Amino acid sequence: MSKETAAVTTAAPLLELRQVVKLFGGVHALEGIDLTVGPGEIVAVVGDNGAGKSTLMKIISGLQPADGGEIRFDGKTVELRRPVDSTALGIETVYQDLALCDNLDTVQNLFLGREETSSLLRGARLRRADMEHRAQETIRRLGAKIPSLRTPVGRLSGGQRQSIAVCRSTLSNPRLVLMDEPTAALGVEQSTGVLDLIRRLRTEHGCAIVLISHALRDVLEVADRIVVLRLGNKVAEFDNSDRTTSSDQLVAAITGISAP
Amino acid sequence: MTTSNQSPAAVAATSSPPPVARVEGRQSRRRQMLDAIAGRYRFVPVVLMLAVIWAFFTAQDSAFMGNRNITNLLVQIVVTATIALGIVFVLLLAEIDLSVAANSGAAAALTAILVVNHSWPAWLGLLAGIAAGAVIGLIQGAVVTQFGVPSFVVTLGAQLMLLGAILVLLPGGTGQVSLFGTGIATLSSTYLPPALGWALTAAGIVAFVLLRLLALGESRRRGIDMSLVREVVAPGILVGAASVTAVAVLNSYLGVPLPVVILFALLIVFSYITTQTRFGLHLYAVGANPDAARRAGIPVARAKMIAFSLAGALAALGGILAASRLLGVSASSGTGTVLLESIAAAVIGGTSLFGGRGSVWDALLGALVIGSISNGLDLIGAETVVKYVAEGSILVLAATVDSILTRGSVFARATK
Repeated sequence: MSKETAAVTTAAPLLELRQVVKLFGGVHALEGIDLTVGPGEIVAVVGDNGAGKSTLMKIISGLQPADGGEIRFDGKTVELRRPVDSTALGIETVYQDLALCDNLDTVQNLFLGREETSSLLRGARLRRADMEHRAQETIRRLGAKIPSLRTPVGRLSGGQRQSIAVCRSTLSNPRLVLMDEPTAALGVEQSTGVLDLIRRLRTEHGCAIVLISHALRDVLEVADRIVVLRLGNKVAEFDNSDRTTSSDQLVAAITGISAP
Repeated sequence: MTTSNQSPAAVAATSSPPPVARVEGRQSRRRQMLDAIAGRYRFVPVVLMLAVIWAFFTAQDSAFMGNRNITNLLVQIVVTATIALGIVFVLLLAEIDLSVAANSGAAAALTAILVVNHSWPAWLGLLAGIAAGAVIGLIQGAVVTQFGVPSFVVTLGAQLMLLGAILVLLPGGTGQVSLFGTGIATLSSTYLPPALGWALTAAGIVAFVLLRLLALGESRRRGIDMSLVREVVAPGILVGAASVTAVAVLNSYLGVPLPVVILFALLIVFSYITTQTRFGLHLYAVGANPDAARRAGIPVARAKMIAFSLAGALAALGGILAASRLLGVSASSGTGTVLLESIAAAVIGGTSLFGGRGSVWDALLGALVIGSISNGLDLIGAETVVKYVAEGSILVLAATVDSILTRGSVFARATK
């Protein structure tokens, strides 16, 4: 089925899924998926609703363990049963709902759950200035545009909020960033900004990116390789390293109907 | 988009306007004001309301602003403010505790019986009462977090159980325990010598300014521009002027009452915890978006259980302070308007019913509003009916303001 498989990964793969299966009751959400992601590679996963994209994402991020198959990271077999299992390996996830607290400002959101504090003897105070400084650096390096780091993020635009979520994922120097529909809620201009951010993430941090998206145009623009899922199966894989895949090809693979 | 073959959901997702785009660009002045009032300047309307109330009662009776009445007012609000402080914690987490008043009565009954009937030293009885309150809060928090029962039901049930417990604890026959002549009673009858009052005030103001300066210095060393006036001078003058005025008035009568000192010590400690520490920040995060907090690795259930036990402990302390002032406990301890006034104080002070927004100082401000109305109406000899109607309407007004701020401001999406 995977006629266009031209994915020749030269380096040893960073993440490798072999025949991964996920069942919900008697329903096969994923029926034996193979997926490889090389270091520094941007791989997009596309498909219609119910194709299994979200399930695949939840398996890699550790939110829902797989029911069968093998997952290898850095050549070693790993068990991803909880989100911490994935983060411990250096897999960060940018959720579709962004998981931001609207009442907190950018700095507080960036460091949420991993705040730096002074010692108990020195009052266990949040090291606000240090965190703000690091936040500034991260945001500058990724070229994100945030008007003020001290504004509650509820006041920021969708694109800015998405940027904060992406910046947050880089703070732990991850090796793989998983993004769930990063442009779904954004307008054209904001989407462009987020796509720039994704490219920078690769060049600045050298991390691999798995992009789960409905937005075919965005996918064609940034992905090195595009994996198409349909009804829990991988039905096609396109090498897009030269950005020549056409949206007609993708649509045909997603729907299973050949382009006229 | 690229194709018409996309699913309807995808089309809807990509073509619908971004949820916050309307905030961008021409941000209306009204929204900016709402944001400011919902955020950093939430205390301003409350202080204005307080000023109006004070002006009204002073016009009715000039004794209202006298040093004797101000001392009375502050002593009267300590109980409400202490219990409301605990309520602020549970409200921050978008929960509610309706058992605090009954908890305060039960803890006071326990302390009174230990001290009077079992001859425990007052301090030990006090600690036992507070510990009991904390455990009662913790159990309720555990039921809420472990079984997912809505907190208003759990705490409503607990309220009834605790009211029953008070009846069991109190001796049959009289149904009351007198604290006259015990160490618990001296809590309320103790006033600080003026010099000590001034020394504590000075220490508090210096600590406040130093902490602000420290934060400013740290930021500037990191190249972050922060305004000296906005961050240090203005808040310093505000806090300094308010506390110096209050202490001057109190010292011109009998001195600073010990319960007031206890209340301010609590406010300062909890203010530090909520604004300067990791745990405090996590309270706000959990209250605004528990899913995000959980995914960020914050122990959500633990934060909630701590908040419920804090509410229990503070309610117990409030109850014991009330018993100390009334010189005893009876079946009516922890009943009446205690519950309504404590929750009202937190909400009137500016803590949101929807979670994630508020400050420990709201407990003080709200208790001052409620206490001033009650005190003023007593002073001018108004009937109880007037008091109930006035307090009830202020609560509804405050909750309405909270809802408007929550819907109209940046915090709208935090509570979807």
